[in-house]
Amino acid sequence: MHTFELLRDGFASALSWAHLLWALVGVSLGTAVGVLPGIGPALTVALLLPITFNLDPTSAFIMFGGIYYGAMYGGSTTSILLNTPGETASIATAIDGYAMARQGRGAAALTTSAIGSFVAGTLATIALTFFSPLLASVALRFGPAEYFALAVLAFTTVSALIGGSLVRGLFSLFLGLALGLIGIDQLTGDARFAFGIPQLLDGIDVLILVIGLFAVGETFYQGWYHGRDTPEVIAMQTFTGMSREDWSRSWRPWLRGTLIGFPLGVLPVGGSVIPTFLSYSVEKRLSTRPEEFGHGAIEGVAGPEAANNAAAAGVLVPLLTLGLPSSATAAVLLAAFEQYGLQPGPLLFSTRPDLVWTLIASLYIGNVMLLVLNLPLVSVWARVMLVPRPLLFGGILVLASLGTYSLNASMLDVVLLFATGAVGCVMRAHDVPLVPAVLGLVLGPLAELQFRRALAISEGHLTVFVTRPLCATLLALSVVVLITPAFFRDRRT
Amino acid sequence: MTRRASAALVTVTMLGWATCAAAQPAVDELRIIAPAAPGGGWDQTARVMQQALQRAGLVRIAPVENVPGAAGTIGLARFIGAEAGRRDVVMVSGLIMLGGIVTHHSPVTLHDVTPLARLTGEYEVIAVPAASPFRSLRDLLDAFTARPESISWGGGSAGGSDQILAGLVADAVRVSPSRVNYIAFSGGGESLSAILGGQVSVGINGLAEFASQIEAGTLRALAISSAARLPGVEVPTLREQGLAIDFENWRSLVAPPGLAAADRARLGSLVKAMVASAPWREALGRYRWLDRYLAGDEFSRFAAAEETRVRDVLRKFAAGEDSSGRAPEPYPWLVIAGLLITGALLAPQLFRSMRGHTADRSRRAPVLLLAAAGVLHLLLLERAGFVLAAAVLFWLTARAFDPLHPLRDGLFAIGMSASAYVLFAHVLHLSLPAGLLAGWL
Repeated sequence: MHTFELLRDGFASALSWAHLLWALVGVSLGTAVGVLPGIGPALTVALLLPITFNLDPTSAFIMFGGIYYGAMYGGSTTSILLNTPGETASIATAIDGYAMARQGRGAAALTTSAIGSFVAGTLATIALTFFSPLLASVALRFGPAEYFALAVLAFTTVSALIGGSLVRGLFSLFLGLALGLIGIDQLTGDARFAFGIPQLLDGIDVLILVIGLFAVGETFYQGWYHGRDTPEVIAMQTFTGMSREDWSRSWRPWLRGTLIGFPLGVLPVGGSVIPTFLSYSVEKRLSTRPEEFGHGAIEGVAGPEAANNAAAAGVLVPLLTLGLPSSATAAVLLAAFEQYGLQPGPLLFSTRPDLVWTLIASLYIGNVMLLVLNLPLVSVWARVMLVPRPLLFGGILVLASLGTYSLNASMLDVVLLFATGAVGCVMRAHDVPLVPAVLGLVLGPLAELQFRRALAISEGHLTVFVTRPLCATLLALSVVVLITPAFFRDRRT
Repeated sequence: MTRRASAALVTVTMLGWATCAAAQPAVDELRIIAPAAPGGGWDQTARVMQQALQRAGLVRIAPVENVPGAAGTIGLARFIGAEAGRRDVVMVSGLIMLGGIVTHHSPVTLHDVTPLARLTGEYEVIAVPAASPFRSLRDLLDAFTARPESISWGGGSAGGSDQILAGLVADAVRVSPSRVNYIAFSGGGESLSAILGGQVSVGINGLAEFASQIEAGTLRALAISSAARLPGVEVPTLREQGLAIDFENWRSLVAPPGLAAADRARLGSLVKAMVASAPWREALGRYRWLDRYLAGDEFSRFAAAEETRVRDVLRKFAAGEDSSGRAPEPYPWLVIAGLLITGALLAPQLFRSMRGHTADRSRRAPVLLLAAAGVLHLLLLERAGFVLAAAVLFWLTARAFDPLHPLRDGLFAIGMSASAYVLFAHVLHLSLPAGLLAGWL
């Protein structure tokens, strides 16, 4: 087959010593920036662009690919150990990952996330290799109406995360939706609920809300309620990683996460928050022990981590085949292509097959490197939990503030961080779930914007949502999802 | 791991600087502010400038800082507030910022900064997907004049260059711009995929963004906004097709307000030397940017004329909205009502358990310490600098958990804050407030 030959040539080129070295530099850098809060792969590649100017494009892109995949691996580490997600992709991981770490199972959480990332990254890269043009053409059939339907489907799927008390869950959800109202109305350019503060025009960054609610809120809560308690000694019996049971509970979520993450990565829809949370709630719905979710269910780490790596590979599909950047990192990569006078787009595969196939081959290699690099580190990282609590929480707050300030160099963001921290602490103390607020902030603006775009295009006819087959199917699916929990519950009892 | 990887980052960074700093440049440091996120046109301009200035030996080091938000107006406000009178910093700006100032009712404008020069320009292209029934601009405009709302125009954010051109075209065929059904997308990728997928009737974007699609035949270009045909670009101009519009998305450079004439002249000649340098000329070709260097009073006059044009067309866009009495969006009020209702249902429970909790005296000390940590950190961050503010935050937080080891906690607080600062500010060149320790670290 033609693709196989091209891929073989790609491997031949990627396996040269120089290219392997650049891949190693890339994945190491990527893991590091994934761990550091506030610095994502987009900024790292932008910072490196002028430096890589003298490199040949193939080496540069191998390194960039490594950074991109590496950041997805590294991002989960702070999520699991410190409850401080460095990127939006690892928000879902924090929920059960941190709970596992507090039970002394941090090593297992880190291992399942590393292996899950590897499995998903590799499977998604295979899909990228063989189905790119096909997938890209399907993605183009998604218009505003379909994106709205997708957001509705996401809403209904993640409604499982609302928690035990309906009022508490809805309050949290509405809080997120209300925060999502702040900022420029993208369709008209008018400011909404910005209260004359220019820094609010672009809305509230979901990362600030998450770091505030989770990391700062948790620190405040622990200080307030358990500050002077003798800390529970975390039993560290398992530095070694995953037990047999962990394995058997992890492999299905890895595969399902890949299946959810990859297609949603191809569609530019709200970054990696939606695939990760979809995976999380699917795992919770399918689990025979849904009550463990939120208290250290390994499926809640395995699924989202696989989903975020698969989505990362998915983002490369429209970038390489159509020249469409659908994430911040993809936009920087596009700029990098332009720096070398290359135009990613329909012609890139035919004009520079050597570069494309070497890049794809190096993605496979990078994934292997990341696994080899990250597994031995697991037991090192897991010992972070042995740091005395005063130093750990002090460090978390400093990292949270540092990461937030370096996002936009805005003082207001840091004020918001501590304000949401206080809110998160109160919510935590009164069993108000935090996750619906995050989902509201991500999904609300997406649903509203796409709904209004679809209506504007159809000149105000609501029929657009039922006459387009893809959109109607997605909406029908949402109804099914809404009804099935009742059905599942009946069957189980 | 972090140590090893950051060591690699240091090495790579050092390598980069080493190759740049061969000759002895005239200017030691020039900071370039890109008022946008990494990846966009302004960010690219800033980073190309960085390379050109350093490689041509004009400036020893030219770090780029991103201050994204609201079509550059947030960067503009900060530039005016924080950099006034400084002679070692410039900011990228341009047509889109003019639009942003109008759309977002920005309190500061480009009159509040010192103009330096226009640098580049990019023409806009009006295009349809290959399968579209519109074969020519005439087809499109016939349908548009017959029923303006039936044509959806996809492009970048509201108030940006794409919308301005849509308004100018409507104006030229005597349709009120307020009747243009403009669908704003965020960023080039989102709008391009909507155009390619035929989700909108027609798309507007920069030539560079469309070029590879036009070349591959997936998009059909109907018109380009240049005054004359461009060599190598087989797209008819708007003028050729009877619309008297020349339009380009220009990018320029500004210096802070309150600059002495000598400093302005010095920056001006630095920019002039840069646009003449080989690295800059190479970059123009690579990015398909047009060399539109224009400096001094001529640039000021050009900018003033553009400002009038942008204000005029964007005002016409808004004009229809008030008279047509657009219904207020119900969604925001639904959300607020939901928040108030669920909040009201929860409030009594919250207050009850809160009162019980605060009565417990033993818990007061940690709460007060944590509150003090947060408030002091916020007060100190931009006044005393990151290191001191972070050390205070760390130390007081640690105190809240453990009153026994003040010295140990203090040492860790200072160590962590200082090393974080050095890593971010010196190795990665990200802006963190240096404050009182500016000379030390």
